[in-house]
Order: sequence, then C-alpha cells, then structure tokens
Amino acid sequence: MMSRSARVACALAALALLVPTTGCRAEGTPEPSPNDPSSMTLVEQPKEYDGTDVTFIGEVVGEAMKRGDMAWLHINDDPYYLMNVEEGAQLGGYNSGMAVWLDAELTEKITYYGDYKHEGDVVEVAGVFNAACPEHGGDMDIHARSLEMVRVGHVVIDPVHPWKIAWAIGLSLVAAGVGALTRLSRDHPIDARR
Amino acid sequence: MLLRPRLEDHLVIGKYTGKIIIGVGLLMVVPLLTSVVLAEWDTVLDFVISVAACLIFGFGTQLLCRTERDLSWSHGMVVASGSWIVATVLGALPHWLSGHEGSYLDAMFDVMSGYTTTGLYLLQDLDHISYGLNMWRHLLTYAGGQGIVVVALTFLFKGAAGAYTAYVGEGKDERLLPNVIQTARAIWLVSLTWLVVGAAALTITGMVLGQEPLRAVLHGLWVFMGAWSTGGFAPQSYNTLYYHSLGYELVTIVIMIAGSFNFALHWAVWTGNRKELVKNVEMISFAVTLSLTVLIATFALAKAGVYPDAMTLFRKAFYQLASGHTTTGFSTLYSRAFVTQWGPIGLMATTIAMAVGASACSTGGGIKGIRVGVISKALLQDIRRAVSPERAVITAKIHHIKDVVLGDGVVRSAMFITIAYLSLYGLTAIVGTLYGYDFLQSAFEGVSAASNTGLSCGVTSPSMPAVMKVLYILAMWLGRLEFMSVFALGGHLLSMVRGRG
Repeated sequence: MMSRSARVACALAALALLVPTTGCRAEGTPEPSPNDPSSMTLVEQPKEYDGTDVTFIGEVVGEAMKRGDMAWLHINDDPYYLMNVEEGAQLGGYNSGMAVWLDAELTEKITYYGDYKHEGDVVEVAGVFNAACPEHGGDMDIHARSLEMVRVGHVVIDPVHPWKIAWAIGLSLVAAGVGALTRLSRDHPIDARR
Repeated sequence: MLLRPRLEDHLVIGKYTGKIIIGVGLLMVVPLLTSVVLAEWDTVLDFVISVAACLIFGFGTQLLCRTERDLSWSHGMVVASGSWIVATVLGALPHWLSGHEGSYLDAMFDVMSGYTTTGLYLLQDLDHISYGLNMWRHLLTYAGGQGIVVVALTFLFKGAAGAYTAYVGEGKDERLLPNVIQTARAIWLVSLTWLVVGAAALTITGMVLGQEPLRAVLHGLWVFMGAWSTGGFAPQSYNTLYYHSLGYELVTIVIMIAGSFNFALHWAVWTGNRKELVKNVEMISFAVTLSLTVLIATFALAKAGVYPDAMTLFRKAFYQLASGHTTTGFSTLYSRAFVTQWGPIGLMATTIAMAVGASACSTGGGIKGIRVGVISKALLQDIRRAVSPERAVITAKIHHIKDVVLGDGVVRSAMFITIAYLSLYGLTAIVGTLYGYDFLQSAFEGVSAASNTGLSCGVTSPSMPAVMKVLYILAMWLGRLEFMSVFALGGHLLSMVRGRG
C-alpha cells in the first residue's frame, strides 16, 4: 500500500507531466506546400524525380551564397512560406525546402531573405532536380535555369508584448529582493541553530 | 534499509543546486546581450524573464538552504542529476516564450537536448528565430558539453572539497589537475582555445563561401559550438547541408572529432605528451569502429548506387558516420534521406556508430570508446586464458594516459554501464515500435537520443507522441550523466518516500 506522501508525489508528478504538454500557441491548419512535387515528396521519393524538370515555389531564407558566377539559394515551401511564426503563423512543423543552384545574376532580383526580422521573397524557380548531385558532393538540389518573383517579402515587426514587460519588471524586482535577502542572511546558517 | 534524508541533506542539496541554477541564469546574459545589440526587443524580454526566474530560484534556495556543510558523495550525485532537471525546466523559458514551441514539454525537450549535446529538436520554424534564441540554443550545447556543473565549479564554487562528487555525477571522472576546480578551469582553457581557433576558421570559411560578415561570424561561432560540444545544433534548418562546401565540412570534421576526445587526452597533448594521440585506447577504439562503420555504409551505398562516384560516396558516408560516431549529429543529408537513400544497412551502420559513441570525459555521449576497448581486451584476455596452459598467468593492459592493468573491477564497471546503455537503446526502440514506427527507424532515433547524437531519420517531430518525447528526454539525461547520478537521485527520492527516519 502506498503511503499518503507517495500518493501525493505521484499525483504531482502526473500533473507535472500533463501541464507541459499544453502549448502557448495553438496548432492550426498549416499552410500546404504550393508545389507538386513538394520538397517533402522529393526527399521521400528521390529516385522517382531524379533528373526530372521541376518548378518550385517558396520563400527564400538565409542569404544567397555566391560562388563566382553561380550562387546557392535555399527555398522553403513549408507552412511558413507566406507568413512566419513571428508574424503569428500557426505552428505547422519543421521548415522544409530545397537547395537551389543558379546563376548569381538571378539572385539580384531578390529583395528580402527570410529570417527573424524578415519574411523572405516568394520566388518560383524551374530546373532539374538531382537526388545526389554529381557536381556538388552528392547534395540533393535543384539546378535552376530561371527565377521569377512571385511575391516580394517584407520586414517583420515582432511586437513587444505588454504582458512580457510586466513579468520582466515584476520578476526582476523579486529576484533583486531575494538576492538582497540572501546576502543579508548568508552568515546565519539554518542547520547551525539546530 | 533506506534512511529518510534529514533536513541537513536537503539544505546542502538545495544550496548547491541553487548555485548551479544561478550559473544557468548568468549564462542567459549572453543571448540577452546578443538580442540587445541586434535590437530584438521581444526576445530581450524573454531573456530578462528567464534570467530573473533562474535568479529567484537560485537565490531562493540559497536563502532557504543556508548551511555550512560540504557535499557528500551521494549529495554530489543528487545535485548533478537534479540540477540538470531544474536547469531544463527553467532553461526552457526562452524557447517557450518565443512562440516557436508547440508546448512547454517541447521546449524542455530542446533544452535537455542542448545541455546533453544531443541536437534533436522540436522547435518549429527555426529559419525565422531570433539571433538571441539561436545564441541560447548553441550556448546551451557549448556549456552542456563542458558540463553545467563544470560551469558552476569554475565560477561559483569556492573551495568546496565535495564539489568533486558533483563533477563525477555529471559523467566526468578525470582529474586533469589535483584540484577539481583547477580541473574545471583546465577544461575551460582547452575549450576556449579551441573556440577562438575553430570559430575563426569557420568564420573565414563562411565569408569565402559568400556569407555576410555578421552572419559568417555568428554562424562560425554557433557551428563551432555545435561541433566542439558534439551537439549538432545548427542555425539553419538545413543543418550543415546549408553551406554546400567541402571546406566547411572538413573544418567541422576536425572540430567535432577533437570535441569527442577525452579532456584528459587534450590535457596530455596540451602539456606536451603527443604520443598519447596514437597510444590511447580510446583513439584506437575510435579508429577501428569508425573505419568499420564507414566501410559497411560505403559498401551498402555503393551497392545501391545512391551516389554517382567513389569520392562523392566516401565524402557523404564519412561525414555522416564521423558525425554519428562522435555523437555530434551534424548532417549534410535531409533527415528522411537516411531512410529513402541510405536504406536499412546505412541506417544500421549509423546506429552502431552512434551507439558506440565518443570518448569518456568528453563532450560526447554513447557507450564510449574506453568501454569498448576494455571489453574487447577482456574478451581477448579470456580467449588467451582458454587456449593457454592452466598455470599461465595472463594479464591484459590498456593505455589511457598511463598503462592500466585490466582487473575484474574495471571490466565489471565497463560491462555494467554498457549493459545499461544497451537496455536504454532497446527500450527506446521498443517504445517507438509500439507507437507504430518502423523498428529500424525507432532504433536509429532511440539510439540517437540515448547516445546524445541528434541525427534524425524523421521519427522525432513536434507531432510525435508525448510519451516518446518524455522518454527521449529521460534517455538524453540518463545517457549524458551515465546513469549513476540519476540512480542516486532515484534512490534519494525513494528514501524520501519510503525511508525510515
């Protein structure tokens, strides 16, 4: 038979497990990929699409990494390609996309690359999908011939939440108070009085 | 008979746990300042709240647990394992407040993954998170690689003799120097030297590859932290595939292999004993098992005709296997490509490499090279005994910093921890299978979590069952702390409930 304290401990443990599974942002219907095949399909069925022509639409993220006359782009067709989490998009899983190798001049059309402060441009590229590119160390990529702008991105302003300001001030004051009390009482051990 | 802990026991555990949590709070100042400099004001508030919460807990326990007593052996073990849990709960605040986590459990998963240098994550829309949060993710893994107790030992423990027990409880047992606090500082000296050199090398490479200076510096720093700590976190969702560069891959290979070495080996080389690099049992074990697993994977991939030529095949196989064996978790493949391109044998070879893992007293996880070396030597010793005359005295030695004669105690200890790891690997694989995942994929992912590697074949995702998330958190924690201190914490909790006063 479990003691009362053991039962209380079990109940608290169960509660501790339940509470963290609740989210701070509800999951909704994520934005579907605009592509057929999508990046997920290409990764799942690389053999079927290897060497075929594909058109691929998505948000440009990170930066263009120029290598001479050519450049690397990373284009995401994930649930955040139109609106990211900082703008209030519903959580819809991991990012997913494709690495694209193309003429560096084509990247001049791009204004915004997706990151914390930007929703990147949505572009459409057309080219050949490589399941294991012989030119690029076996990387899975698309060698694009063209790049068209679908939608210009924008600056994202993640607003400062007033409730966070209140919590930050409140908790900082409490921390300072507890810190001061600790300093005042550190020469008086509890167990020394016993 | 279990004895119920006395008030003094709770006080000393509370006091030192509090010190470690203050250390975690102070660590958060780095991402906070990053966000201030880059004007990420909402993230700044996330970190102010989180720092304050850590300080309230830390100072609060200092206030409530005032004691002059030093840590005993069991206290140290409980402090080491318990503080990792508290540090995970509080360290998850910035993740959760960012809005990129599906639940607080997911946030705790990511933080435990960071501290334990695993590298699996549930954070969503990684490509749009703030620089501050990215700094926190990588700092977690860098600090966790050295050990959060080591962080506290370095800065916050003043001359506590019993601190050694907390250090051991964190899965490290090498004394590089006679004093444990000097040892902790020596670990930091080695790590910070590598940080400067490694981050500079990656930054320069990044700029050559076409990154802007600020991004090259930050990516260089973070990828270094991910590599050195064998953590495997990277700033972009593409992981190291993002860089499409043999140069970047080579630099990360050097750093992650160095990070997987025993700190005692680093210290030996640091102090001039370079021969240790070729004599050390862990180096030999690592070379043998890495070669074997690369060979198996290469054979399977060549047979399947996945890659167009031998050089490409070797580059891909060596990178993933070196990453798996050092328990780093960097990858130049899409996660699902392990299944859709590498197939069952590739998955198995990577799983074996991850299961064996890195060196003891390093930033890495897994069974560890030294145990594989000890068990292999003991097995050879038994075979030699069996074929030798009855009166022959057969002894075996291993070389780890000095020659060590293999006694029964050493072998039993290595076997015990190895069996514990294998049981944990088995449990995570079985639970995944029961939830409907393919057995090989469950084994891959479970071993990846329990060996603190972080390679994924797609099982880990925000939508996976909460029970599996909890199991992986526990597996990462147990794997990183190498069981003993977690068992000590379990014993402590049991004695609180069932012990006699």
